[in-house]
Amino acid sequence: MTPQRTTEQLAAQAGTTACAPLGETHLTGEQFGELMGGTTETASAELAQAEAHLLVCEQCAIELASLREAISLFREASNAYADEELRSRPRWILPARRSHSQSLVPAYWVAAAAMFLTALLPLQVMRWHTLAPPAASVSSVAVSNAASDTQSDEALLEDVNSEISRSVPASMQALADPTADASTVNNETSVPTTDQRKD
Amino acid sequence: MAFEGVQMFPSTSVSLGNEARATPLDDLENVVAMYQPRVFRFLLATLRDHDAAETLTQETFLRAWSARASFREDCSLATWLIRIALNLARDHTRTGRFRFWKRVSASAVDVAEVSAFVPTREGSAEAHLIAKQQVAGIWETVAGLSARQRSIFLLRFMEEMEIPEIATVTGLPLGTVKSHLYRALAIIRAQHDFSPHDTTTHSATTKENQ
Repeated sequence: MTPQRTTEQLAAQAGTTACAPLGETHLTGEQFGELMGGTTETASAELAQAEAHLLVCEQCAIELASLREAISLFREASNAYADEELRSRPRWILPARRSHSQSLVPAYWVAAAAMFLTALLPLQVMRWHTLAPPAASVSSVAVSNAASDTQSDEALLEDVNSEISRSVPASMQALADPTADASTVNNETSVPTTDQRKD
Repeated sequence: MAFEGVQMFPSTSVSLGNEARATPLDDLENVVAMYQPRVFRFLLATLRDHDAAETLTQETFLRAWSARASFREDCSLATWLIRIALNLARDHTRTGRFRFWKRVSASAVDVAEVSAFVPTREGSAEAHLIAKQQVAGIWETVAGLSARQRSIFLLRFMEEMEIPEIATVTGLPLGTVKSHLYRALAIIRAQHDFSPHDTTTHSATTKENQ
């Protein structure tokens, strides 16, 4: 089997005629598309034919390689240009991340707990003031203070009672008995009587 | 159009109901960091306008965030975002206002700027120059494709999406996607000579195949 014959057989398998200097048949646009990666069925019959054709047709092989290379350069240049353009632009300002599942729900709980404690604390303090027993060291002082207060209160009450029980207050005693000894009064008060003025 | 200093996205604490479930978009900062370059690239190549591309990129993420509850993860997040971007670009280019500003816009992409980014590979300076011309030519040819052909071409060869993924993004049947892709490739082949230069018969033959 000569190489030329093998080429003819491959061409026949590919559904194209062998590459001859004139009147040759080449890949169709659809086959180029398939070969450029536009197919989903990698084992499709059309793709197999196109690949077989590439083995025997240097022109199509070169053209396909050139097209692939050009499109690859187009992609790389476009991407590099776009990336450079994007870098030269101001960065976006985004809000701080607040994940619903991770931070927002716990925030609700933290806020609720804080409010609960804030409401509970004054109540608890009041309860401590009203119910807490005095400490041992403080109790003796408190008891002695209470006893002295009680004594002073009793003395004050006695004074008040004795004051009330008197028929005439001490300051009004002189007026209580006008017939009492005047000399005594005069001596006591040194106020001249009517008789003395006449003299 | 710059957006420096502008808070574009509402706080995530707003409008989260009890029924809200966790989605990948809740972590917006990471999503933007991961997918913004990709969305911007696609929109820039589609619209050929820096400002429009940035505006629609922002709009893409805003729409995605607003509709995050409807993201069922039946496709990848990238696919979902590109689908939103594609719809926005389609709506944008339909308006007469876009066509007017496209003619007078100062922010339109210059082909020479793009071709300046052609990577330098092993070879002569002449080969590099030819490659730059080739890329500039493809860039202009892609601009002349129909909107659908252009989108599919870019999704396939720039975003390197597979045909089923492109069908998901565009909402078109597989056969229709392939048909548009093949036509786009045929137009590019017709307008640029990728055949070996020492053969004269091949070019004519390939033209017949279009």
